[in-house]
Amino acid sequence: MSEYAVSVKHLSKKFTLYHEKRDSIYESATSWFQKKRHNETLQALDDVSFNVKHGEIFGIIGRNGGGKTTLLRIISKIYSGDSGSVDVKGTIIPVLALGLGFHPELTAITNIYQSSILLGFKKEEIEKRIGDIIEYAELEKFADTKIKNFSAGMQMRLAFATSVLVDPDILLLDEVFAVGDVAFQKKCFDTIMSFKKRGKAIIFVSHDMTPIKNFCDRVMFLKDGKVGNIGSPEESVSAYIEYLSKKK
Amino acid sequence: MTTIREEMWKTKGILFNFAITDLKIRYRNSILGVLWSLVEPLLLLGVLFVVFSTMFRFEIPNFPIYLLLGIICWNFFKNGTTFALNSLTNRSALITQIYFPRAIPGLSAGITASIMIIFELVVLGIFMIAFGFSPPSTVILLIPILALQLLLILGVSLPLSVLNVKYKDTEFIWSVVVHAGFFLTPIFYQFDMMPDYVQNVLQYSPMVQIVTMAHHVVLYGTLPSINSVLYAVGSISAITVIGYLIFRKFQAKVVEEM
Repeated sequence: MSEYAVSVKHLSKKFTLYHEKRDSIYESATSWFQKKRHNETLQALDDVSFNVKHGEIFGIIGRNGGGKTTLLRIISKIYSGDSGSVDVKGTIIPVLALGLGFHPELTAITNIYQSSILLGFKKEEIEKRIGDIIEYAELEKFADTKIKNFSAGMQMRLAFATSVLVDPDILLLDEVFAVGDVAFQKKCFDTIMSFKKRGKAIIFVSHDMTPIKNFCDRVMFLKDGKVGNIGSPEESVSAYIEYLSKKK
Repeated sequence: MTTIREEMWKTKGILFNFAITDLKIRYRNSILGVLWSLVEPLLLLGVLFVVFSTMFRFEIPNFPIYLLLGIICWNFFKNGTTFALNSLTNRSALITQIYFPRAIPGLSAGITASIMIIFELVVLGIFMIAFGFSPPSTVILLIPILALQLLLILGVSLPLSVLNVKYKDTEFIWSVVVHAGFFLTPIFYQFDMMPDYVQNVLQYSPMVQIVTMAHHVVLYGTLPSINSVLYAVGSISAITVIGYLIFRKFQAKVVEEM
């Protein structure tokens, strides 16, 4: 059991989709009276099982809406799964594409405090690290600027800096390199590799196959919510590409 | 239930963090800043005083203090519940990114309102000095009364915060409830001015009892009647228990509705 940092077993998750495509007032009125249900269910995840070891970079690839983000959200407890189990050993930080839930009206510093407290850190610990976080993100000039005035890349840098410097055991990265510039991307990769060396687990979601092939130890291809393939990066990427070409 | 409480304990630091940032965000870009929280009740006091002391000639002793006390109690309820109403929806970015107990935003709204009422009570003190009114020793009982009111606010806030995510109607219904409640609570009149049959119904309103009890201990130096205390404690416990059950039913799925 303890050799795995993250262990997911037979995880399934359904969503209800509501369709509100009513063309006329009459139609919407009648459908309301008829109590016709305008919804269907979407099987976002279907019996997904995998393990991530300590010191491993685990990639997840798949199409948009393929269940990647849903899976990360369940691992980080934001959503709850319908069935199956998720076992996580240690502290976990989800860095999703949109940052760490920063509030646009608060300054960088206030947001770092808010997010890190929510991630379970004590105020004193954050105080010690806040200088390093700002320095790592190269945002010294903007520490007291409101997040709404930040560019997407700056927000991402701040989110990434916050999450690596609070030093979690498991790091979930969802499309984090989509907005950073080349210099910062390099810095991120170096940090991720040092995390790996220190035995931390990293789950990495990307649409860019280059980092997936270069950095991941194993890659899972999620095919419409099901496990398409788990194996070496080359294997999973070619399974994914084959699937894409068949779709066309 | 134990797990919800354990989680709350671990992240308790965020309760005050949320309450303070809520205040900061609320009064951002305004010149008067937090002073607005005082200007609003004072303006209302001015209007009500002019209307009811000159036009309707209500003869309630120490009318300005009577009015202000009622307004402050009512504002506490109004602020706490309306902040809570949007507390989850306003934080949708945060909630979909980081896990934390869903009760925290609703509860921190109660703390925000508590911070605001402290400022308002200072103004009440200044009013008392200005009107040469020395409060009786029973004024100290205002603290447990307001604590009981905070329990009511939290009991209403938790279900409101999750219901408003699922049904946007909650917000509109609640604004009607708050408006109606203001007139159905003895803020600018005395409860016994109402006909008996109205009193019989309204006595079940926890806010009627809270405001009546506050008037007793601050203005008249009398202890609240045992009936008032029983009605208030009874209705507030019932509301809090029902509120918590509603909250528990909706809280797990609330993120998925965002």
